[in-house]
Amino acid sequence: MNTTIIDLSLWDLVTVYSLLLMSIALAHLLRAGQNRDIFWSGLRMFVQLLVVGYVLHLVFALESALAVLLILIVMSGFAVQTIGARVEKKMPNFYRVVGSAMLFGCGGMTFFFCTLVIGLEPWYDPRYLIPLAGMVIGNSMTGASLATERLAAEFHERREEIETALCLGSSVKLSAEPAVSSAFRAALIPSINAMAAMGLVFLPGMMTGQILSGTEPLIAVKYQIAIMCVITGSVALTAFIILRFGYRSYFTSYQSLREQ
Amino acid sequence: MNCRELLLAEDVTVSRPGNDGSFERILGKTTLGVTPGEVLAVAGPSGSGKSTLLRLYNRLLEPDSGQVLLSGKDIRTVSPPVLRAQVPLVAQKPYLFPGTVSNNLRASARLRRVEPPELHSPETKSLVEMCRVETSWLDRDARKLSVGQQQRVCLLRALLGPCKALLLDEPTSALDRQTGVQMAQTFKLLTKEKGLAIILVTHDLEIAEICADRIALMISGSVIETGPVAQVLNAPQAEASRQFLSLAVPDNGDVA
Repeated sequence: MNTTIIDLSLWDLVTVYSLLLMSIALAHLLRAGQNRDIFWSGLRMFVQLLVVGYVLHLVFALESALAVLLILIVMSGFAVQTIGARVEKKMPNFYRVVGSAMLFGCGGMTFFFCTLVIGLEPWYDPRYLIPLAGMVIGNSMTGASLATERLAAEFHERREEIETALCLGSSVKLSAEPAVSSAFRAALIPSINAMAAMGLVFLPGMMTGQILSGTEPLIAVKYQIAIMCVITGSVALTAFIILRFGYRSYFTSYQSLREQ
Repeated sequence: MNCRELLLAEDVTVSRPGNDGSFERILGKTTLGVTPGEVLAVAGPSGSGKSTLLRLYNRLLEPDSGQVLLSGKDIRTVSPPVLRAQVPLVAQKPYLFPGTVSNNLRASARLRRVEPPELHSPETKSLVEMCRVETSWLDRDARKLSVGQQQRVCLLRALLGPCKALLLDEPTSALDRQTGVQMAQTFKLLTKEKGLAIILVTHDLEIAEICADRIALMISGSVIETGPVAQVLNAPQAEASRQFLSLAVPDNGDVA
């Protein structure tokens, strides 16, 4: 069996892009009005990934901790910005809360895995750190936006309930508990579903990628299991930090609900 | 004003930033208090600031200036949860937590992390009777009761804490006339027999007449007249009061 990966030539890429042309044709046929969207997002993907490919190529060659950290910071920055764009009702101090939650959640979990579990040598080995951190950040981003969105919705829907509890002498923390736990549940649902369906419904991207590039399937499986645990841990920790600090922003300093 | 008042708002003002950046006055300099054993009705058209004033008394809202005193002590010296258990507010629309009636009656204790009240003790029993909550409801799903029954459970739930004064925000406006009148009688009983102080915000002058000792009329953020209820309603002193009273139709569905 051949264990080296088959490279794709420029011609191969042109061939697969013909599939996008086919999709455009089908969209046109059904008057779905997505012709331009498919074209532009296809083009964006090409340019963005090409740039990333070159940057990674450069960073791998540089072997510098600073360059790796810079990449991770840029990735996290984009993630926080994406959450901000996605969440309509932002809590006060939104960026500070979400930013530090992502830093501690993703950073902590990635560091835990890379240094304490795999024992990377050097610790910043970009071949491991960048893709692993990318997956952790991407999933935590989804978790964080689900948590913040759900929290805003809960505080909107449960206004009466929360104020009733406050009026009966409840602390702010206890009155917000149902809203906070519901938001936490919402954040974790995708990770729970992904773990439960793993291998049955779909073969995860990382595992597929490793197998394609010649990794022994059992090693790929073990990595996939590990990364799912790290992702779930990071989503849970990020959502926890956001909710733990975020719920307070819905209350005034004198422990009543802020006016909407 | 002297410290006879159990609950007293002193020179309180509230304003809110308006759309154009200026400040909109919600409540002009207001002083109003209630003594133990007294029902004070606060009446006025919608938007007159009566609900805003009510929310100052248990610090659901803070005034821009002035202070609120509970037994002569600034309420800011007490932690808000402790204050609110002593001065609970019952809202216009009854809100019951999911679960049974008895679960709701224990809610205050649960939320304050203290022992739940013994529902069969003589002290509690008399409250249960005054609020006309029937013991057969206890195991029923609280949200399946009628609105009137739910409001009575809400009232009783508020009373089962260390309640000293009760804030009522249009508590009868969602109820039919007969139930509303019964509720008003309950308010009166609670003050006369239990020595509670009640501030009742209402647009319904008939309800005020039944249970209130004093009434304060509010128009656009100011108390324009205070006095014994019969006197104010029958012989109002201020021109604005006369105007308001002549327009006030019983049960006009005002939701402030």
